[in-house]
Amino acid sequence: MPNTGGISVDIELTINGERTTVEAGSADDLATVLRQHGYIGVKCGCDGGTCGASKVFVDGEVRMACGMAPREADGSEIRTVAALGTQDDLHPVQQAFVDNFAVQCGFCIPGMIIQAVALLDSNPDPSEREVREALSDNVCRCTGYQKPVEAVLDAAGRMRGEQSVAADGGQPASGPPQPGESAGCCGGGCDE
Amino acid sequence: MSDSEKASDLDDGTDSARAEEEKAATSGTVDDAASEPDRKAPDERENITTNAEKDDARKIVTGEARYTADYRDRFPDLAHGKVVRSDIAHGHVESVDTSAAEALEGVDAVITPFDDVVPDKLYSSSGQSYPEPSPWDLTVLREHVRFVGDPVAAVVAEDPETADRAARKVDIEYRELDAVFDPEEAFDEDAPQLFEANEVENKQSGADYSRNLESHFEGEIGDVDAAFENAGDRDNARVIETTWETPYQSHCVPEPHTTIAYTDEDDRHVFITSTQVPFHTRRQIAHLFDVPIRDVRVTKPRIGAGFGSKQEMAIEPIAFALHLAAGRPVKLEMTRREEFTALRFRHPMRMRMKTAVTDDGDIEAMDLDTLSNSGAYGTHGMTVANNVGTKPLPLYPRVPNVRFSGDVVHTNLPMGAAMRGYGAPQGHFAVESHMDEVARRLDLDPIEFRLQNAVREGDLDRSVAILKDGDRFTRKIRSCGIRECVRRGKEAIGYDDLEQPEADHLHRGVGMALIAQGSGVAGKELGAAQVKMNEDGSFHLQVGGVDTGTGADTMFSQIAAEVLGCPPEDVVVIAADTDLTPFDYGAYASSTTYISGRAVKNAAEDAKERLLEWGAKLLDEPPEVLDTGDGRVYSRETGNRASLEEIGYEATYGDDQREHILGDGNHSTDESPPPYGAQFVDVTVNEETGEYDLNKLVFAADCGVAINPALVEGQIEGGEHMSLEYATSGGLSFDDDGNPDVLGFRQYGMPRTTDHPEMETILVETHEPTGPFGAKSIAELPTNGVPPALSNAIRDAVGVRLTELPFTADDVKAALDEQAGGER
Repeated sequence: MPNTGGISVDIELTINGERTTVEAGSADDLATVLRQHGYIGVKCGCDGGTCGASKVFVDGEVRMACGMAPREADGSEIRTVAALGTQDDLHPVQQAFVDNFAVQCGFCIPGMIIQAVALLDSNPDPSEREVREALSDNVCRCTGYQKPVEAVLDAAGRMRGEQSVAADGGQPASGPPQPGESAGCCGGGCDE
Repeated sequence: MSDSEKASDLDDGTDSARAEEEKAATSGTVDDAASEPDRKAPDERENITTNAEKDDARKIVTGEARYTADYRDRFPDLAHGKVVRSDIAHGHVESVDTSAAEALEGVDAVITPFDDVVPDKLYSSSGQSYPEPSPWDLTVLREHVRFVGDPVAAVVAEDPETADRAARKVDIEYRELDAVFDPEEAFDEDAPQLFEANEVENKQSGADYSRNLESHFEGEIGDVDAAFENAGDRDNARVIETTWETPYQSHCVPEPHTTIAYTDEDDRHVFITSTQVPFHTRRQIAHLFDVPIRDVRVTKPRIGAGFGSKQEMAIEPIAFALHLAAGRPVKLEMTRREEFTALRFRHPMRMRMKTAVTDDGDIEAMDLDTLSNSGAYGTHGMTVANNVGTKPLPLYPRVPNVRFSGDVVHTNLPMGAAMRGYGAPQGHFAVESHMDEVARRLDLDPIEFRLQNAVREGDLDRSVAILKDGDRFTRKIRSCGIRECVRRGKEAIGYDDLEQPEADHLHRGVGMALIAQGSGVAGKELGAAQVKMNEDGSFHLQVGGVDTGTGADTMFSQIAAEVLGCPPEDVVVIAADTDLTPFDYGAYASSTTYISGRAVKNAAEDAKERLLEWGAKLLDEPPEVLDTGDGRVYSRETGNRASLEEIGYEATYGDDQREHILGDGNHSTDESPPPYGAQFVDVTVNEETGEYDLNKLVFAADCGVAINPALVEGQIEGGEHMSLEYATSGGLSFDDDGNPDVLGFRQYGMPRTTDHPEMETILVETHEPTGPFGAKSIAELPTNGVPPALSNAIRDAVGVRLTELPFTADDVKAALDEQAGGER
């Protein structure tokens, strides 16, 4: 139900590939509207525009949805974290976040993944400094940013076709290595 | 040789000293817990030491994980709450005019302290055992307001925006009272008094509300005054005193506190809520609203972290009162501004530390006194202040004379509460900076000085004994890798070959702090779990323990899997629902791995006994020769085996007497083995500007056996982040009327990706015989180290001592100017 505190307007959006008309209250921001329509991967962690948890793609640009009026997005194509991959078929950035244990409470993670995907789209081989700069307006309280930054660098490598350097040794998620099947120093991809 | 053996080899304690302590330790009533039979080499316990994928990771990265606010779609008739808060620091509510708010279309109700649905009972919001070791000094809504942000009224409406608008139309008239903001002034006889005698129940030790004193406590081992006098009289000893000050710190929980409260089709009152303490919340709601505990159900979905701020029944009673008023489900969600101004914080403190020490570096006496600003209310006031001494002082357990005292006072500022580390960050700042200062004044190496006096395996653990008399809490340290933490940390930071920058105005230094925490609240913990087998050989694990985002549920599944002999993903974890799971005190005090994890292990072992009985029937061999592993029960003698699935089907559907294979486990103990650590900081200071750059942080941790090392590393890195903030950029400030300056992330100095230096994490494995598979807890330990290590590093680099957190470039510059002035 939209916020009825003011006048409602109809907004045309394409959300994760689906065209839809949504009703938005005048007091609503885009994050609220998206969440009301079930896109719960858009998180609200501050009172607007300061934590990065609500980041989505709006016509290919990263925006904090909580700081955007729905009207501003009228006619736009929105992509949330849910559009990137499914649990069984994750986007390489999502997979790298899982494999590098970059996820703790997870509240900030969708916004961080959106930002990371945007970075790697424009810069497939970023330095650690560039990753840190790209994520500098994404607030995370659990990880000290260490493993998320490692995850983005790992994802970049994977997307360039290199061997994963994930914390799990790049093993498939199915379980620990079997006895006698040593994972080696990097998951078997190098010769040490 | 395992890491733990290496660690004990490095122990530099002399044998005779060790023998004497052993004798002392065993001649008392030390409960010598039997060593567990589960001490296996790392490659033989792969379910424990593997980095099993965090069970909710895929849901989180696809945005499908549901936190409390994401349950709104389950309630088509959901109403939305909004709290109206005091805008004065101290006063009485004379009247509340709700008419304009109630007249708004879409408003269900406005509640005030004078309404019947709002209990006027006194309670504590602290999620602690019963009765809480915190005063009952809160009411759900407050007629007597004591800080800017106190909840006075609340609105429930059709949608959040209407609730907001209505809240702004609630008109409150106050009779203002004088306020006090400085904890030392609060002691004065003519200072405004926050609490009348009838406004507090369940008072804590040493309380004197006529002086705004919530608690005073002290404890002593030996004779500290005599030791100081004696040292003062000698040429080969001296007495050194220092003072330290720390600010408010915000938890900055990513997910603001959120509760959905409703009454279900069976007339039971249900809370979906972001809590670390579902069972304590259930009890407190029941008491407050006079409903039976059995009619209250508290469930915790995914939670956007807690760090102690959700070890509190901070908003649930308001949500429930709004639900009763509205007659439909209500969601109450805090704003970030409320998180920064009205919820919970780390207590600001002033500490004085004094030691008597010989020129050879033997400590003869330690005396620590703390003044804690509890803010307007007393939740966790005394217990947090207790931990200021009881966590760091036992790092030096052979000091013959030790005293620790504290005063916890009220001011008209927001309330301190539980926050990750729980007094230990303040205490370590005082103790570990002081120890460094002592070493430097004695011209001793700060690390060698620490190790000369530091804890070893076999020492008596004083963490409880400092404040509590009685043998019950006399115990000894059974695992301690602190020397290996120091050795490997030194190596990683390059302690012995630090290169100075070429520029003359830049100076590089390294500082170190030793660190200890606990594993649960000694003597005040209970965890419980149940395992039930499914016929396909998988299991359901029902556990009261609370995963706040740490990966605890994954860790639980690994412990159960290791016992049951199946992969962790075959264990379905159902956790932290007061209707569905056994009891647990909740996620606080670093209790989850050690207490709840051990309950899980006990439950799994109980189920394993039944598995072996059924295996014995199928294999026609005695259960004594059977074990579990690889998804089977197998015979150690014949190699015969039966899969867990075969056993599950046979036990459930077989022709013989059938049985649902179940296991129960409890864990309750007086033990709280400390995890240990060493924090290193490498810093470069610009002596012209006072600006400093952190080059690297190294944290070496002994948490016993690390269950899922990648998750453990994550705990350390996140804890260090909070500690880094505390040292460099955190803190709240207020104007002269008690109005907060910090309203959101824009004003708060939370470090971002670009503010973090390189971090290196080292896990030093020891084996704690009382822990599940040798584990101790880890989550709070790394929150304690950066402030002292950075103070020590700056001292090392440029010779000045910073004593007040956070350290700004101006502080460093001022200290350098003062030093230069002194030399002139």
